[in-house]
Amino acid sequence: MAVSSSAAKGNVRVRRRLWDRVYPTLSIVLPFLVIALFTIYPVIYAVRNSLYLYLLTKPKTHPFIGLKNYQEVISSYYFTNSLTNTAIYTVAVVICVLLFGLAVALLLNTKVLFSHPLRIVILLPWAIPAVVAGLMWKWMLNSDFGLVNGLLYGLGLIRDYIPFFANPTLAKFSLVMAFVWKEGPLVTIFFLAGLQLIPTELYEAARIDGGGGWRLFRSVTLPLLRPIILIVMVYETMTAILVFDIIYVLTGGGPGDSTAMISWFAYAEIFKFLNLGHGLALAIVIALIMLVLILIYLRLLRTEDTVS
Amino acid sequence: MALNKRTLNVVFLNLLALLLLIYIVAPFLWVAVASFQGEMELLSRPPHIIPQNPTLDNYNYVFTGKIPTAYEVTGQLRSRISEEARLIAPALKNSFVVAGTVMLINLLFGTPAAYTFARIAFKGKQPAYNFILASRLLPAMAIAIPYFVIIQSLKLMDTYTALILVHLVFTLPFTIWFLTLYISNIPREMEDAGLVDGCTPFQVLRRIVVPMIAPGLVAAAAFAFMTSYNEFLFARFITQSIDSQTGPVVIASIAGNPDASYSLISVCITLGLIPPLILAITMRKWLTEGLSASITYR
Repeated sequence: MAVSSSAAKGNVRVRRRLWDRVYPTLSIVLPFLVIALFTIYPVIYAVRNSLYLYLLTKPKTHPFIGLKNYQEVISSYYFTNSLTNTAIYTVAVVICVLLFGLAVALLLNTKVLFSHPLRIVILLPWAIPAVVAGLMWKWMLNSDFGLVNGLLYGLGLIRDYIPFFANPTLAKFSLVMAFVWKEGPLVTIFFLAGLQLIPTELYEAARIDGGGGWRLFRSVTLPLLRPIILIVMVYETMTAILVFDIIYVLTGGGPGDSTAMISWFAYAEIFKFLNLGHGLALAIVIALIMLVLILIYLRLLRTEDTVS
Repeated sequence: MALNKRTLNVVFLNLLALLLLIYIVAPFLWVAVASFQGEMELLSRPPHIIPQNPTLDNYNYVFTGKIPTAYEVTGQLRSRISEEARLIAPALKNSFVVAGTVMLINLLFGTPAAYTFARIAFKGKQPAYNFILASRLLPAMAIAIPYFVIIQSLKLMDTYTALILVHLVFTLPFTIWFLTLYISNIPREMEDAGLVDGCTPFQVLRRIVVPMIAPGLVAAAAFAFMTSYNEFLFARFITQSIDSQTGPVVIASIAGNPDASYSLISVCITLGLIPPLILAITMRKWLTEGLSASITYR
């Protein structure tokens, strides 16, 4: 009895030791395999098929055409148009979202009465699906029953409701408004975290040196927030370039093609024009743009680290 | 004079905060208000911010199929077109099952992986870590079609498994990265003491590390749940029927119909928003801390 029980114990110990040796490998290998399957295969598939004439209407025949897809996509009017749109949109959005985040973070850091309810609701836009956020702004700006139109009308500022999505400039403006609403909260939290890292002694020292509100902000807050501003800038630039969900529900690329961004163009190539080769070539161009941005980002972070 | 300037300042800041508050909350309130109005009242000018004839008819229709009286005015056609709105309840159930499973698997697989990355030295660690992080940088459009092909060849089209798999690929890298940072930032002494006392590394993880990183785990779980619950693009590609279609897919599909009733769409949106909003308000502290940690930890 005693012998067998100690043997069993030994067995458990062996099994345990084996588990301890195996589990670290297992803990990495399992997630790694799942992620690898959904990363390596798609990349190979995308690169390969971007070199073929691949029309979804004729899935049986797809001859090899080399870089012709790239050539056609890059030289098309839509490419220039969507790239210009994306550039305008990205610059506008990044500036707005930075200003919004900074302003709200500074406000939340004060003891102003209304900052308390603001603190409770600030995360809400971040927490919901982007498609739903887009739809809610479609409701806000709707030309039949939109609250924004209703408000302007009620205040006597306009005679007729404004069709926000029928005018190219207003449609872009609507997109920016919805994007800032959706992304602003995250940026706010990032800035708030950055603000809380600034030692209060620095402010006291600066105040003794005779700094007022604005000077304090410029000479203490802003320089110390620099790393976070950089991270947020690059992150939001990437998010803005890849924007899709909000466009899908809010403007559908229109009116005309005034809000067709580069991701939307890739979507349209594949799902509207059914030209998979074109769409994939375009997606790879987008991926390369992203790669350049990421390299810049890593470079910035490294110089920041050596500075601090 | 100085006091005057100060009061002016406070008034200005309060006004700014109030405006921001309205900007953030107004879309939520308007969609909720619209869901309690009949189609006719919704279209009145100027709009009724407080509904004059608040009605539960729209909700009643979504849950029981009883056609609201407001629609009989514009005819049967309109109500028939909006029939899709009735799919919102099963869609939200799908969302819950998928997001809940994704959340659990993230915790079960993400925590040991993060612990290994943070504490155990092994060959090929840095490349593996970098690969997992870099996998998230592929633009969605480039991988959408290949994902579709993978799911189709695994014969998983229109199933929970497909959605869970794809959402895991999105959430696991973040969970692993986030928890690795979190674990790297807690002091190591406790774990060393545990090892000296004869715990195995796995026991150390289970009994010492997990309780210490509990706030990080709560945040990681919430992030995983929300990412899965909110994901739209891939869910749209790999689902085909209400057997697996999630909330955002159904909502976008109803709203994409130009003839669908606005108040019924508002009902769907309102219902779909309840879970993330409850999460965002009740877990505010952990979410904020988690997001702050993700940008300030190195």
